[in-house]
Amino acid sequence: MQDEQPFRISVSQNTLDGLAQKLAIATLPAPAPATYTDALDSEDWTYGVPRPTLERLLIHWRTQFLPRWHEHQAVLNALPQFTRSIEVDGHGVFTAHYVHKQSTHNPKGAIPLLFLHGWPGHFNEVSKLLPFLTTPPANAGYPSFHVVAPSLPGFGFSSAPTKTGFAMAQYAEFAHKLMLSLGYTEYIVQGGDWGSFIAYRLAYLYGPKYVKAWHTNFPAGRRPTLTRNPLLYLQHAVTPYSAKEKKALRMMQWFRSEGQGYFAIQSTMPQTLSYALADSPVGLLAWIYEKLVKWTDGYEWGDDEVLTWISIYLFSVSGPETSVRIYYETVHQGNFDEFSKLWSPIPLGLSFFPHELVGGPRTWARTMGNVVFESEHNKGGHFAAYEQPQALVDDLRAMFGKGGKAFGVVKGKDGY
Amino acid sequence: MEQPFNISVSQNTLDSLAQKLAVATLPAPAPVTYTDSALDSEDWTYGVPRPTLERLLIHWRTSFLPRWQEHQAALNALPQFTRSIEVDGHGVFTAHYVHKQSTHNPKGAIPLLFLHGWPGHFNEVSKLLPFLTTPPANAGYPSFHVVAPSLPGFGFSSAPTKTGFAMAQYAEFAHKLMLSLGYNEYVVQGGDWGCFIAHRLAYLYGPKHVKAWHTNMPAGRQPTFTRHPLLYLQHAITPYSAKEKKAVQRMQQLRNEGRGYFAIQSTMPQTLSYALADSPVGLLAWIYEKLVKWTDAYEWGDDEVLTWISVYLFSTSGPETTLRIYYETVHQGNFDEFAKLWSPIPLGLSFFPCEFIDGPRTWARTMGNVVFESDHDKGGHFAAYEQPQALVDDLRQMFGKGGKAYGVVKGKDGY
Repeated sequence: MQDEQPFRISVSQNTLDGLAQKLAIATLPAPAPATYTDALDSEDWTYGVPRPTLERLLIHWRTQFLPRWHEHQAVLNALPQFTRSIEVDGHGVFTAHYVHKQSTHNPKGAIPLLFLHGWPGHFNEVSKLLPFLTTPPANAGYPSFHVVAPSLPGFGFSSAPTKTGFAMAQYAEFAHKLMLSLGYTEYIVQGGDWGSFIAYRLAYLYGPKYVKAWHTNFPAGRRPTLTRNPLLYLQHAVTPYSAKEKKALRMMQWFRSEGQGYFAIQSTMPQTLSYALADSPVGLLAWIYEKLVKWTDGYEWGDDEVLTWISIYLFSVSGPETSVRIYYETVHQGNFDEFSKLWSPIPLGLSFFPHELVGGPRTWARTMGNVVFESEHNKGGHFAAYEQPQALVDDLRAMFGKGGKAFGVVKGKDGY
Repeated sequence: MEQPFNISVSQNTLDSLAQKLAVATLPAPAPVTYTDSALDSEDWTYGVPRPTLERLLIHWRTSFLPRWQEHQAALNALPQFTRSIEVDGHGVFTAHYVHKQSTHNPKGAIPLLFLHGWPGHFNEVSKLLPFLTTPPANAGYPSFHVVAPSLPGFGFSSAPTKTGFAMAQYAEFAHKLMLSLGYNEYVVQGGDWGCFIAHRLAYLYGPKHVKAWHTNMPAGRQPTFTRHPLLYLQHAITPYSAKEKKAVQRMQQLRNEGRGYFAIQSTMPQTLSYALADSPVGLLAWIYEKLVKWTDAYEWGDDEVLTWISVYLFSTSGPETTLRIYYETVHQGNFDEFAKLWSPIPLGLSFFPCEFIDGPRTWARTMGNVVFESDHDKGGHFAAYEQPQALVDDLRQMFGKGGKAYGVVKGKDGY
């Protein structure tokens, strides 16, 4: 069981039939009350996902997507996937599911990169980055990477925790042990959403010995304090916010006042919510789809894209509902409170995308670690790897490539 | 205009429900915790425990649903009606309501409007009714005519279809209902949303029409020096009693752990609606959690719980339209203005130990012109259902002979 097994997603006919049956008898809610926005009613997101939108998706799901599931499954299976056993102290043995793609033309020199998803994300968010990272164009001077993208425990095709208290340290331990088991003693980390918090914890727990640098597109820093970040505090005090920073602050404010309902229930009573998410595919679709739209920067989702995304949740090994517990555990272990205290000296890179939820001023983000690289973009939101893969790849190349501030952090594996 | 009403769920609807229950998918059990308290099956740390809900699901399929007609008949034992009520700017609603008069005292009984909240419903009045409308003869208790509507979007009333239907609109709806029934002057009793709506009724229509009100959810705010100088001083120097400390603790716990539903329902109710509309099991869990967490160890029978959930499931506009009261009230800023809409009409407060009272007595007294207070040793949020006798005792004391609100309604003192 220690050894790696190749893995292919293979949803049983039973499961597909069960889903078809539920979709056939799905009951949709009443439309939301009419508002007086300029937008069309069908695109009015004031109360949440508009009914006409979801009804269209439901019809597509029943008539198009589900009958052709095997095509969509094959697309997911284009990524090389594996499972192996990973033990987490005090929590037993987990089945770790992960994508693992090496740079075939540069097996010895490519930089090992751990890619971490969040919620409602998943391993497949790495898909658009993979070719660029593992197989950059020859003679362009770009570094190569070996990429590992696991499903976090409780997500996708990894097994779920069964004991209370599985929080940031445990997710970090899981990911770290996975890298070690793959022979990557030194590696770098990229993550957004929960992936960012886990990367932060990895840097603290396992850097600089194992984790050599990290990068995030979710710069969730805190306001600098005089005692902890005196220089940043002063910088923050005297630097006016740029137009982009003001926009980011507005986004943060929106998120705080209107966008955190899911966070509140998932971090307090996840099991109560779980019955609905486990039993209703339509309910799950709406719950996740709202984030796919609200957290992205005008990304034009195709119906098949959306339904493939939801399917990873729906068909996950432990059920879609186990994914929400990460909120409960992290809050109850006090991980957010200690966030700014676990500072690591390893190089950190930040990519700022305008529609991210937690942009905030640059001085806040710089409290997250030893920032050696920053980049700012004009387009993109929370799911940067999926919405703006080229931009994210450019940033990783600039940070880790020749001349970059984190060039050569992994001994003997500089990407060339 | 008024039509008698009987709940009558179609066979189609029942068959669909049976089908959904038959293919219901339950979630993984919650992670194991290490509490000293009871068995895993009673561990509510993460929410409704799976063994508990699984038992309810089996009961639903094998016992409750096949015998639905009996449960429906029990609900229909209450005399129900519908009529049209128009709310300014929001069109005409079908108002569903219980209306039971005091038959032995038709002229003198006090008209009482009973208002439910979320996840409550009209049937919460059922245990109070006999005591209020037909007290024992010669015991000196007042009689009441009782009106208990389904709020718009709940039960068998129709739902708002335009944004902005908030406290003033719910109050207008209820007030017009009372007027249409010929009750020009009346008193109000409410908990949960019923409390906030009653507060608004007192402000908008008291003392001309609304003569007094009572609540079992004394949701006052910390007195401020400028607005309530005497209460502010009283609060500053009075130590919290043991009961008050317990209430504050309980409130803090609910605030930390029990507000998730409020957060999602007041921001993105439509996103949640798909799950609640489509999954009876999901709806059961969502509501059942409150029935257990908000009551004082009330021993719910399975049929009781499922009847309660059925009022939501079979409601006219769907269970999910009930959530919007949170969205609308927050977005209209009603909570912010709560303390400013003070009414001079008499107010009675009943304190139950497991209610999520907003703090000490001095806070609650900011809600209005408090003329009556009572303290109980048992009972929670659903007081009318958990402790009907206690609530009835309080209303009798407040409105009966010798009570501080005796005779508030001209010519209808209850005797």
